[in-house]
Amino acid sequence: MRAEATGRPWWTPRKAAHAFTLFFLGAWAAFSMVVESYVMPSPWAVVVRLAAMFQDIHEFSHMLYSFGHIIAAVGISFVIGTVLAFMAHYLNILRPAIQDRATPFLNSFSGVGWTFLAIIWFGISDVTVVFVISLVLIPFAIINMREGLANLDGEILEMAQSFSRSPWQRFRWIILPSLYPFIFATIRISFGVAWKVALTAELFGGNTGLGYMLNLARQDFDMPLVLAVIVVIIAFVYTTDRFIFQPLQSVLARHHGVV
Amino acid sequence: MALSSQNADDRDDRWRRWLARITADGMVVVLLATWWLFAQDMPEFLLPSPDVVGLQIWELFTDPRYLVHVAASSARVVIAVVLAVILGALLAFLPRWLKITEVIVHDRIKPFLNSFPSVGWAILAIIWFGPSHGTVVFVMVMILTPFCLVNLSEGLKEIDTEILEMARSFTRRRWVVIFKITLPLLIPYVVSALRIAYGVGWKIALVAELFGTESGLGFLLQQAQSIADAATVFATCLSIVIVFWLGEKAIIDPLSRKFTPISSA
Repeated sequence: MRAEATGRPWWTPRKAAHAFTLFFLGAWAAFSMVVESYVMPSPWAVVVRLAAMFQDIHEFSHMLYSFGHIIAAVGISFVIGTVLAFMAHYLNILRPAIQDRATPFLNSFSGVGWTFLAIIWFGISDVTVVFVISLVLIPFAIINMREGLANLDGEILEMAQSFSRSPWQRFRWIILPSLYPFIFATIRISFGVAWKVALTAELFGGNTGLGYMLNLARQDFDMPLVLAVIVVIIAFVYTTDRFIFQPLQSVLARHHGVV
Repeated sequence: MALSSQNADDRDDRWRRWLARITADGMVVVLLATWWLFAQDMPEFLLPSPDVVGLQIWELFTDPRYLVHVAASSARVVIAVVLAVILGALLAFLPRWLKITEVIVHDRIKPFLNSFPSVGWAILAIIWFGPSHGTVVFVMVMILTPFCLVNLSEGLKEIDTEILEMARSFTRRRWVVIFKITLPLLIPYVVSALRIAYGVGWKIALVAELFGTESGLGFLLQQAQSIADAATVFATCLSIVIVFWLGEKAIIDPLSRKFTPISSA
């Protein structure tokens, strides 16, 4: 924009970024004035719609539904993924079955595919949505927890063995704490992926949630609502990652070494 | 273990690995058999039997009517992955050339693209561009670019600054340094960006095609679902797994074997 200013010390990258944000919003506003409002509504219209969304108890409840779907799916996939990772780690005979068959299969099976199959099996429902998100998240959980188990320090395990004969005690005081960073990473990644999958799953296979709302908005050509939903998602994904997961990660890093 | 000889140890090990392999393949067979058994008692629109699905998959890859859709999706994935890597590379390089853009790229563009949902892009792109090939590719590029950006800027960070310094002491021409030093050192990261983009790309292609076109596997899936043709839904999903796997074995794996530095191989 103002090239001659780049050399000055007050023109920092941070300020340039703020200028970029303003420029982006300005460009959006200008664009919305040129085109029809169903193509691109103005930022202001989206803000107004967003405010209305938070006041309407019905629309607000869809947000809570999405949140519920995600929490349930992250929990389910974490448990299943962790169990499979433990099986692959401790039972040699099952390792290739889990690592070379189940994981790549789940990893390459698309979320939309699961959605359509789940619609056939469970109909349009919350079960479908949670089922789809869980299946998409399971391979992430397996891969991350396997990584954590592979990184267990053999010497520390040996020391633990010499101190206690109880497998539970060794698990509780040695293995579990060493896995904390990986458990955390699993949940963080799961959350980020879950939001996006949830939207697709709810759009095609749900009758609640933000994805469902997005579908209604799309059918009505209610563009301000489409963008308001997108803004909610972006804001939520960004703030949880930036203000919850990142600070937590630095706390964990301090207690458990580098994550 | 400590008492047994090296030879017996080896044999033991080989036997155990062989057993695990058998278990893995056996599991697949058992799963297929269970599926077949279940399908006997189920109506076909709920759970088609594996032989019906297998036949349908065969048709997808041999019947020209279906093959067009497979080819359309594959072509879109390839084009989008290449575009996303290029765009991601440009964004990764930008802060190197213009220090001032560092926060813009890493704290504005990256998180924005990273958290933008693919369905959101699909709906917007349909309204902006109408249904077309370009729409699908656009949606994919938007989703894949942040993955490439993250990988490539990671790579740029890892490049040894001493090597760059040495290069600069040999030449003042920036382009020579980029083409002879930076890009070759960056290639392993380009390959891993390709791998990730390829994997994610297939999933996004499906979402984008559901809204944005009248061809491709996503379109096929949509059509099959609307007439409750479960066999085709199954076949489409599985053929994506197959095409994905073929592409990875045929293109991505050889590339990564060729360009991964020996030290980490």
